[in-house]
Amino acid sequence: MEALANQSNHRKTSALLSIIPGIGQVYNKQRIKGALFLILAASYFVVFGNLLNMGLWGFFTLGTELPRDHSIILLVQGVIAFIVIGFGIAFYVFNIYDAFQNGKKRDQGFAVTTIKEQYQNVIDKGFPYLLVGPGFFILIFVVVFPILFMVFLAFTNYDLYHSPPAKLVDWVGVQNFSDMFTMDIWRNTFVSVFAWTIIWTFTATTLQVAVGIFLAVVINQKDLKFKGIIRTLLILPWAVPAFVSILVFSGMFNDSFGAINNDILAAFGIDPIPWLTDPQWTKVAIIFIQTWLGFPFIMAMTTGVLQSIPEELYEAATVDGATVWDKFRSITLPMILAATAPIIITQYTFNFNNFNVIYLFNEGGPAVAGQSAGGTDILISWIYNLTMTSAQYSKAAAVTVLLSVVIVTVALINFKRTKAFKDEGMM
Amino acid sequence: MKKIMAYMLTPVLAFGVLSACGPQDSSGSGSNTGKAEKKPDKLVVWEDTDKGVGLEPAAKSFEKKYGIKIQFKEMPMLDQQDKLRLDGPTHKGADIITTPHDRIGPLATEGLIEPLNISSEITSQYTDSSISALTFKGKLYGLPKSTETPVFIYNKKYMKEAPATLDDLYKFSKGDKGGAQYGFLANWTDFYFAHGILSGYGGYVFKDNNGTLDTKDLGLTNKGSLEGADYISKWYKEGLFPKGIIGKKAGQTIDGLFNEKKVASVMNGPWSFQGYKDAGIDIGVAPMPKLPNGEYVKTFIGVKGWNVSAYSEHKKWAQKFVEWITNEENAKIRYEKTQEIPPIKALMKDPIIADNEAAKAVAVQSERGVPMPNVPEMAEVWVPVGNALQLTATGKQDSKKALEDASKTIEQNIKAKHTGK
Repeated sequence: MEALANQSNHRKTSALLSIIPGIGQVYNKQRIKGALFLILAASYFVVFGNLLNMGLWGFFTLGTELPRDHSIILLVQGVIAFIVIGFGIAFYVFNIYDAFQNGKKRDQGFAVTTIKEQYQNVIDKGFPYLLVGPGFFILIFVVVFPILFMVFLAFTNYDLYHSPPAKLVDWVGVQNFSDMFTMDIWRNTFVSVFAWTIIWTFTATTLQVAVGIFLAVVINQKDLKFKGIIRTLLILPWAVPAFVSILVFSGMFNDSFGAINNDILAAFGIDPIPWLTDPQWTKVAIIFIQTWLGFPFIMAMTTGVLQSIPEELYEAATVDGATVWDKFRSITLPMILAATAPIIITQYTFNFNNFNVIYLFNEGGPAVAGQSAGGTDILISWIYNLTMTSAQYSKAAAVTVLLSVVIVTVALINFKRTKAFKDEGMM
Repeated sequence: MKKIMAYMLTPVLAFGVLSACGPQDSSGSGSNTGKAEKKPDKLVVWEDTDKGVGLEPAAKSFEKKYGIKIQFKEMPMLDQQDKLRLDGPTHKGADIITTPHDRIGPLATEGLIEPLNISSEITSQYTDSSISALTFKGKLYGLPKSTETPVFIYNKKYMKEAPATLDDLYKFSKGDKGGAQYGFLANWTDFYFAHGILSGYGGYVFKDNNGTLDTKDLGLTNKGSLEGADYISKWYKEGLFPKGIIGKKAGQTIDGLFNEKKVASVMNGPWSFQGYKDAGIDIGVAPMPKLPNGEYVKTFIGVKGWNVSAYSEHKKWAQKFVEWITNEENAKIRYEKTQEIPPIKALMKDPIIADNEAAKAVAVQSERGVPMPNVPEMAEVWVPVGNALQLTATGKQDSKKALEDASKTIEQNIKAKHTGK
């Protein structure tokens, strides 16, 4: 081989030898390290051999024989096997890289580090990584594992009729996704629920942000007295747990007995409004509730930003003859948005998945003729219904994947935008 | 180059392992079928929350007789399904669970519960409706422990005795109501309660062909169902039911109003008795008054039963315990402790039930009702029909259009979710 022909080409030789982990290190005269690597690699296969064997077999077949095989458990083992393989590959690559690097050192005439030096090196430079390591390891199982499991589930036919132990689950490819767009019943519901989810997200969030900013600016006026009391009062909706507020509102909005119809609207001589039985009014009601629940946070945040806007800017603007509106539009608002954009975006993504308000207020109701989801069901509450009442696990997983795609895309685009926004040098 | 080669080698290695793989032992499975089961040391039973007191005496006597320890754990009935799904495969689950009968279909379809092999001598002790409720696709999946159905509950302060017909009740509600704000309230936009009316007029959900439900034959748009829906909306349209008792929160609202002593009578199940008594109301209980067409209100009957887990390693003994705990003697003890009415023919005539007003009302109404369909397709029925009833009650659609739409939705959903290849 060419590597052997060149006397000083240790890097290639050691990397090549490292195809069996540790041999390259031994070749580089790092015997203890090499032995450790070899033991590690061997024990990897001894310990995980069975898991990899069963896991991969189970992942690809999802079981072949009843009642011995439980497809879902096999799928779980399969996902774990993949994660373990991921670790294995990472270690393997590191092993080759390490051999290559040390070979390179030898090629260049440096001495390779001894195990003691390496230990020192790790303690000195890699200490933070050592601390983070175990957490990161657990993180993969706690965060990545469930997500992977859910994503894979979206490509199976796991539902009531394909459910262990009575039946095996099979891979069905993109069937669940294509059903969502081709089968009438799924498409109709999906499209209308999705459309309302978008409208809900934008209206509710924009309103809560607008109200929050507006109130913050108003309260921040210099001549205003009793600022503290007003601010405290306005923060109150935030102080009560949303869970409780929503249930209370649900009672207050009751068409026949609620305080809103009976006391407030009646006082103005307005006829009772069907808050809980008419989809349009229910939508208005939950948007109102979310605005009420959400504005104090934005207001508190904006108040902080307002304190930091230099007074000179306004003075200069006054000299230039700017009106109050001009000042707000050209100074205050851009300053606020620049400082709070990331948080405002999280408000949007939060409302996109705001299960609480939708479910606690009217459980996604009221009825809509010819549709299986309720009039105010957003994607997340629809998914809840799919899994809890109809045992449509794979369909629910598919909708979840679609939902995540939307959220991740919006979040990514927005975060990029805000960064660009900041780079323009607003602050 | 070599690095790339190395990258590619790992998966190859892994798949090399894969090729010679899978579980090699196919002998281990299904070994204990057919052979006589060894007597276990203990059986694990999951009981509904707060109902363990009714189980304890039977568990003790069973232990004495057969020397098998009964270990029971209380948990909400509806959680047991999920728990069994997770714990079953690891053999940590229960041998015996308890579940409402309308879960039998889904549970049996998933293969989580085992069909029982019980002699007709034993099954004939129970009411026919309770046995048919626990039967799915011709197989019996459990024995009944209690039965329940909505009945007529009235506040004795406003009403001397229960009216004989709904017409009488209607007149009462139109009149002075004995001083109450509302004469009668029922959650009739919830199909669970509305079914009694629709069915009393001749409607049905799925056609019952001698115990097998034909899920392709929906009876929700037939003449009876439409008449029933119209009768329901009459109560709303004439303002006898306030508009606010519609939809998901209606039940709570009705309970609240009844507890505030604003309502003379309600339709509700036995589970509500205690709450009403706690609110300080002197309640009377009676079977539902007759419909204007002279028929009985055919309410949905719910039967709670004991089932044997498919994961149990001692199915024969588990079944033995199910027979033991549901026999007349133990059922009677259980009734005394929990007040849940066992659907045992002999006990229905026993003074212990016959002399108890509430228990008798439930027992009588149970005989007039129909078991809730236990097929998994039933999951698709509740919401659309509830929606249709809401739409007619609020006058947004006439009953024909609303119920036809609902039927269409149900059919589509059954097609989409229950084709079950």
